[in-house]
Amino acid sequence: MDSSSLTCKKLTVIAVLAVLIQVFGLALFVLGFFPVKPALSGFSGVESFYPPGADSAEFQNTTNLSDSQLKYLYQSALLPLKVMVFNLVKLQELSLVPPLFDRLILMVIDGLPAEFVLGKDGEPPPKPFQEAMPYTQSLLSKGRAIGYHAKAAPPTVTMPRLKAMVSGAVGGFLDVAFNFNTQALLDDNIIVQFLKVGWKLVMHGDDTWLKLFPGMFSRHDGVSSFFVKDTVQVDQNVSRHLVDELSRADWNLLILHYLGLDHVGHLGGRSSVLMAPKLREMDEVIKMIDLNSLPTNNNDQGRTLLLVVSDHGMTENGNHGGSSFEETDSLALFIGPTKFGSTSGTPNKANQVDLASTLALLFGVPIPKNNVGMLMPETFKSLTGQVSEYVLHRDDDYLRRKICGRVFGYPVPSASTSLVLKSDKINQARLIDQQLRLLELNSWQFLRLLEAQLPGLVCENFSCDNFRDDGSERTRGYSNLEETFCCLYMKASDLHRSWKSGEEKRSASGDNRHSVLMAYHNFLRTASEWLSHRATDKPVGQLIFGVAAMLVSCLILLSLLFLLGKQVFSEQNQQFSSANNDLSWWHLDEVFILVVIVIVVISMGSSSLVEEEQYIWHFMTSSLYLLSLRKVMQHIVTRTEQNTSATLGLKTNDYIQICSIFVILISGRFLRGWHQGGVNWTNLPDISKWLEQVGSTYIKLFQLVSVIILVNISLVSLMWSRRSKKNFMTVVSLMHLFPGWLVLHYITKYQDVAFSTGSYDATLMAQIIYVVLGFCSTAIVVAVPWCIPFQNRTVSVPEVQRKAWGLCFRDSAYVIGLSYVYYWSLLQLLLQQPVNSMPVLFLFLQVLACIWYSSGSNQHRRQWVEVAALYYMGMAGHFGLGNTNTLATIDVAGAFIGVLNHSTILSGVLMFIITYASPMLYLLSMVMYNSVKDTSSFIISEKGNIGSLLKRTLGFPCLVPLGLNSILLIAYTIVLLLMRNHLFVWSVFSPKFLYICATTVCVCVGVSVVASTMIYISLVLTYREKLHTHTD
Amino acid sequence: MKLKMKKNDENGGNTILSVSPLKAITLHLICLLGLALAFCIPNHIYSLDLITHPSQTLRMISVFLAPVLILLYSHLRHDRTQCSYVKAVGRGLLALPAGAAVNALGATILGAPVGFEYFPKTFNWSLLMSLLTFVPAACVFGSSWTDWHRIFARTKASESTDYMISLPAHGAVIGAWFGAWPMPLDWESPWQEWPICVTYGAIAGYLVGLVTSLGCIIFCNRQQHLKEE
Repeated sequence: MDSSSLTCKKLTVIAVLAVLIQVFGLALFVLGFFPVKPALSGFSGVESFYPPGADSAEFQNTTNLSDSQLKYLYQSALLPLKVMVFNLVKLQELSLVPPLFDRLILMVIDGLPAEFVLGKDGEPPPKPFQEAMPYTQSLLSKGRAIGYHAKAAPPTVTMPRLKAMVSGAVGGFLDVAFNFNTQALLDDNIIVQFLKVGWKLVMHGDDTWLKLFPGMFSRHDGVSSFFVKDTVQVDQNVSRHLVDELSRADWNLLILHYLGLDHVGHLGGRSSVLMAPKLREMDEVIKMIDLNSLPTNNNDQGRTLLLVVSDHGMTENGNHGGSSFEETDSLALFIGPTKFGSTSGTPNKANQVDLASTLALLFGVPIPKNNVGMLMPETFKSLTGQVSEYVLHRDDDYLRRKICGRVFGYPVPSASTSLVLKSDKINQARLIDQQLRLLELNSWQFLRLLEAQLPGLVCENFSCDNFRDDGSERTRGYSNLEETFCCLYMKASDLHRSWKSGEEKRSASGDNRHSVLMAYHNFLRTASEWLSHRATDKPVGQLIFGVAAMLVSCLILLSLLFLLGKQVFSEQNQQFSSANNDLSWWHLDEVFILVVIVIVVISMGSSSLVEEEQYIWHFMTSSLYLLSLRKVMQHIVTRTEQNTSATLGLKTNDYIQICSIFVILISGRFLRGWHQGGVNWTNLPDISKWLEQVGSTYIKLFQLVSVIILVNISLVSLMWSRRSKKNFMTVVSLMHLFPGWLVLHYITKYQDVAFSTGSYDATLMAQIIYVVLGFCSTAIVVAVPWCIPFQNRTVSVPEVQRKAWGLCFRDSAYVIGLSYVYYWSLLQLLLQQPVNSMPVLFLFLQVLACIWYSSGSNQHRRQWVEVAALYYMGMAGHFGLGNTNTLATIDVAGAFIGVLNHSTILSGVLMFIITYASPMLYLLSMVMYNSVKDTSSFIISEKGNIGSLLKRTLGFPCLVPLGLNSILLIAYTIVLLLMRNHLFVWSVFSPKFLYICATTVCVCVGVSVVASTMIYISLVLTYREKLHTHTD
Repeated sequence: MKLKMKKNDENGGNTILSVSPLKAITLHLICLLGLALAFCIPNHIYSLDLITHPSQTLRMISVFLAPVLILLYSHLRHDRTQCSYVKAVGRGLLALPAGAAVNALGATILGAPVGFEYFPKTFNWSLLMSLLTFVPAACVFGSSWTDWHRIFARTKASESTDYMISLPAHGAVIGAWFGAWPMPLDWESPWQEWPICVTYGAIAGYLVGLVTSLGCIIFCNRQQHLKEE
């Protein structure tokens, strides 16, 4: 492309195209990287014991809890006992299968690879480990334990793995991200299901459980996994409760989460010398539980299942997080009070998500809604016979009494008397094969989930007459996928139905039963595979395409910048051909701008620097302005050395520049000190903590002072505008004063009550302020270009007219830009948390100082350097307002100011405004920046060509932020792709990526506001000029 | 830390004294020796360690380094006609707190922690930085505004004393700037604390600067000799 052919129109079209490509690529990447799965909301209830699509009236009037009730339950774990007990009885009646166990001890050994206990590929486990766990090995060989290699899905990190275990779903990232502050598991899960039937839960161990299930454990002792070097105390803190807990009978679920083994791995890897002793310790715990608790089959405690699981494995040197076999090979070991039947000897394989459905079915509670795991058949196969025996021995009434008695000795609820009447029916129904019934329940749950994932799944539509299930059919295309699932399900249910109808001759139908089993297994396995892959598989093509699109747009933007820079440079060279030879020379600050971007890109690869990004931005911007200071000093010397005609004006200009640099640096340091920020050093003292300690009166004082100073500075700056009609400026000043007064009024009167019980007045006031701010800014933008007077109207010399046009252009841009910056800061003072009012003022000061600085530096600083510096300042200020790269610092409370009914979109917009206060402020300041640059030289030379004027004034302020942002975006996207198996991908890198995406949106919005404002101003002025010449 | 604030008066009759390479080498070696001694003495005699007792150690280093540098650089003073050796030493001593103030300001602006418990650390660190950057220049140039500018604002060295002052000083500042990099990393090492790694960086930069200035002086000398021949 020839540089001279780069016209304004072309530039705009290509830039807009590049931005569109970028947004498109980003959308593709985000959708591919964070699969958004249509998950079912709410919690499973009685409906899970009916086939999907069955008449729901049947269970409408039962104790089906509404969602809000369940949320309430989540918070307080207080549900009327009557409801719970009734629920339990009802559920077990409906499930037609009595629970196989009554109590569960879930022992989680963090990071234990299944290989250590079960061996690998038919081989026994390594000898030292085998010898370290004699009791467990004896349980396995006796058949009292069934072991599984439970394959965990990446990321193999504790919290997502625990979630997968209890909910049966492979979590996406975005649903985690949108929970903002809470880490609590809000999806349906087995723990909530247990709580719903009135279980009492106890937890000792990793405090991740407490974060996931706040307030749900009646006793707990959380230990932190923070001190990785501690391998002994973490486990002793769990085991010390063991004797006491095992002697108690008041709990139904005891969770023991041992972290020591994971710590041993982190310190010394798999072959650490501490590994065998640690395994021995775990074996002792298993032995103790088994001897104390399991064989006691007495009635007040019930049958206890000990489930030993690990959340993930570990690599050879003890790390985890990725998806290698060593890391995903986690353990699931079921230890029952009696023999599990014939053991095959070879360890079974399953998925970690299978635990949720297996536990639900073992304990007779509904399967969690989003579960994608199928039941582990071996745990049931051996137990079915046992259960029938058990049922023959005990009647229903006994069961009910036992349950009611167990739940805090509550008497049999009167509501259940109706159930007794039905007991004949139940006894009959129990005759059906329980194993098939369990498979059926699991299938129904899958079918519900499949219906949500594949909206077109209506099984009646398919005729499966000539459907054959062989392996190849599973890999067929999408449209046939539905058919596959339907036909597999229909086949199984048909076989089941025919088997049930032929119940009388069942004795002879062992073979028949087997075929039903096989059909169900077929369906479950296929569906489970598909469902779990849908959540973890990343569409490689889509990701590559997205990255390629972003790369292309980044290259386009950069080449546009390069061409524009070259063109401007050559023009400047023509203008100052003799005077300034510094223009042909790369200056230190220009190099440094590029160094900053390189350093930021490199730092993205390190998780700790992503966490502590605020240090980088602050360090870099301060260094940049110190370099600028050095540069100003250089020019002072150059002048003093030349000394000849160094006018007073130029000298004061230098002092203004030095002062503004000091304002920038000092307020930047205050911003840095206001919030400690980051992750690792948040506990260190900072100004905001100190203010909060000192008390709210001081905070309020600071707030009022900030508003008053802000208003005053804006009025003074308005006066600084070169020349305008007096009446007009008075009106503009009033339009600045009035919203300022409103905000002041709001702060004094309403702020304290704004968050308590939705004060209507406060909300109304906030809404009024929004409207006034919106009206004033629109009015100023629309009116100012029409009202700024042209000077020298009488002179008809074109050059003078051009000059007048240019001055008018700059004046309008100045007033509009100042109003933008001022209104935005006012809005922030209203929305930001009270402690942030001073930082907003500092930001405003910094913006003005940057503008002053740029106004005096025409000769010796290139435009793109100044624009890039503004962008960097925006990023530094972003962190100065207390933002971090974790989602926890998003100010959710502020997002509800002035919002009456819960509107997600409005609150989201407000949240965005609060979070991106600083980058947006700096982008909006570009309008003002344009006004202070001395454009007269090329306005005159261009002879009325608006296009090239806009290109010169708008080109850099729009292209530089877009270009810088596109570099950061593409670099970080590639980093994220490379880090997809990193330990911190979900906790550090992904939240940062969301921030980068939001920054992209912010830059696009800001740039388009700036561009449209400038275009509007120049169009209006040209129109006025034309009108003027015509009237002449 | 590129803060170069100078006093704004201009004077100084320059009777420039060229430094022979031999003298330069001796001076540099004495500097190096002084630095090494300043590091070793607190460590061995008082068993002070930079990591465990940063502010005491920094103070000790400054105390040992200051006489060496001031006495040494005062020999190179530019305006020999108006300025006696004692006067040069005196202005070196005066420049010590002034330069410390400038360095402390620069470090604070760049993010050095502020607070009562950090004050002694920052103070002692800036004393050391002042010794490495400002004091030699003050001894040599006094308050000659143009010379200060030539060295610090424009980094244009014209003769061997300029190299000897400018390069180590810039080295120290740039080294300190890079030395601040590991501070936000979560390696949990004790040396990541302010001002330990910054000091290490500054000293490393200073040493590099010394070696470079030596190289430059020898190179320039050879050029000059070639020209003369």
